[in-house]
Amino acid sequence: MSVADRLPTGSAERAALLGSVLVVVGVAFAASPLTATFPGDLTVFVEIAVLFTVYAILVLGLDLQYGHTGLVNFGHVVFFAVGAYTVAMLASQGSFAGLSLGLPWPLALAASLVTAGVVGAIVGATSLRLRDDFLAIATLAAAEIFHSLTENLEVFGGTTGIFSIPQPLAAAAADYDTTLLVTLLVFGGLTALTYAGLKRLTDAPYGRVLRAIRADELVTRSVGKSVFTYKMQAFVYGAALAGFAGGLFALYNGAVAPTFFTIQVTVTVWIGMLLGGASNHRAVLGGLAVIMGIRLVSRFANDAAPMSSAEFASLRLIVVGMILILVIRYRPAGIWGDAKELGVDS
Amino acid sequence: MTLLDVTGLGKEFGGLRALDDVDVSVDEGELVGVMGPNGAGKSTLFNCISGVVTPDEGSVVFDGDDVTGEQPETLARRGLVRTFQHTRQLDTMTVRENVRLAALDQPGERTLPALARSEAMQSVERDVRERADDLIEAFELDHLADEYASSLSGGQRKLLELARVLMLDPDLLLLDEPFAGVNPTLTNDIADRITGLNDEGMTVVVIEHELETLTALVDRLVVLQQGSVLVDDDPETVLSDERVIDAYLGE
Repeated sequence: MSVADRLPTGSAERAALLGSVLVVVGVAFAASPLTATFPGDLTVFVEIAVLFTVYAILVLGLDLQYGHTGLVNFGHVVFFAVGAYTVAMLASQGSFAGLSLGLPWPLALAASLVTAGVVGAIVGATSLRLRDDFLAIATLAAAEIFHSLTENLEVFGGTTGIFSIPQPLAAAAADYDTTLLVTLLVFGGLTALTYAGLKRLTDAPYGRVLRAIRADELVTRSVGKSVFTYKMQAFVYGAALAGFAGGLFALYNGAVAPTFFTIQVTVTVWIGMLLGGASNHRAVLGGLAVIMGIRLVSRFANDAAPMSSAEFASLRLIVVGMILILVIRYRPAGIWGDAKELGVDS
Repeated sequence: MTLLDVTGLGKEFGGLRALDDVDVSVDEGELVGVMGPNGAGKSTLFNCISGVVTPDEGSVVFDGDDVTGEQPETLARRGLVRTFQHTRQLDTMTVRENVRLAALDQPGERTLPALARSEAMQSVERDVRERADDLIEAFELDHLADEYASSLSGGQRKLLELARVLMLDPDLLLLDEPFAGVNPTLTNDIADRITGLNDEGMTVVVIEHELETLTALVDRLVVLQQGSVLVDDDPETVLSDERVIDAYLGE
């Protein structure tokens, strides 16, 4: 698809409008005395949906890096974690472990975006000029390093983590179910706004340069584009978005600990992206929904199956792995991906 | 006026001396051919001039400024543009996008104007589209404009690469084997286009193996052998030169 064909479509504008409306409605609902109640089992669906909106921001940022620019980032969780810990350390009030400065949460949320962006710039500066696989190694290593730092340093609260992080939506809403609903609305709105911004960016000539870099760096340079600058920007934008998602997660969860930020997060967003189809914003969101949906369904299946949850967890991994194999074999560009645009022959 | 002045250029890969004290100078408006047997250093010369590799010694002066070791993107923006021996098209982009990409000074290639979808970006993009479509039509690729570049034939790829570099409106165009793997009809077609560009005032340097095509095309021939300039003269003189005959036909 060419830029010209994409310009008149209004999906970015629609998403921006929807996102703004959702955020406003969510905040208004939280501030109002209205309450919401989910019938029994539905609560778990809403919980997963909230987590989906957080991961959605992660997968959109990862797709800007990999799907559009071709940067292999195997440590996306590190930026998520950096954002979450930034909010935790700056905004938590009197946590019994780790640093807690008690600053206002909006400031901490803004800082989460900046800090993760800075960490992204540092990781990028070490390896973006080198061959593709160096970035993969550097990001993977950065994620592991940060994970052991959080486990072992007192400022990060060690394995206990940091508690008493303000939960602004929970504080405003009347009860747990209402909190879940307004969180879903606000986070869903922010995801839609993220989608709108990235869609605009990649539909513009900016996105054309990114896709050219993915296709052939030398050609892109030989027609006068500063490839390194673009790679750095795409990488930092993706990292900053992940940091923002981490900040949101901390403000929703009220606590952070190393167990929330394992390689499992990276794996989930990567599989979601590849399953849906890289370089297509909607496809990666769809892929993420599929993979998180499988988790949810399997939770109920576990209750019905005659085995322990540990055995079932292994079984789930096998199922996810088999789905990935099937996709690679029969739809290498992902379910909604374009094989020609991704340069994979099926 | 001298547009490109290469002095004492040297480049070594491991123990192999690919270029050894090469002097080449190209005047504005000239059409110069570079020939030589395989491994003579033709492509390395282009790579050193266009910034793809940094020369070990010597200097490259373009349009009065020393540009030795400058990055390819900087040189391309200044008007020194090259093609590649093995055509490099952006496979995962359409023919249109391949050509449009090369447009210079598009504000929409920066983050904020792209997010804001600024008026400047949109008006530049309208121009870019028009120019790209004109070039695509001129190179008879219009029926393929929305095809991915991966589905083009070898000859069509050569044409696409030419269309793409012309989008940059270069002052100096370096063409690395524009006729390689192209059938005779298309070879003549491409040769005519190169002559046409040169007649319009573009300075062009062409690397080529094939003597016949090149001698008919260019004003001057530079023959390289084992990394050094063997002869640098007008085509007739070069063709009758004993050393060239030796280099090409053997004893």
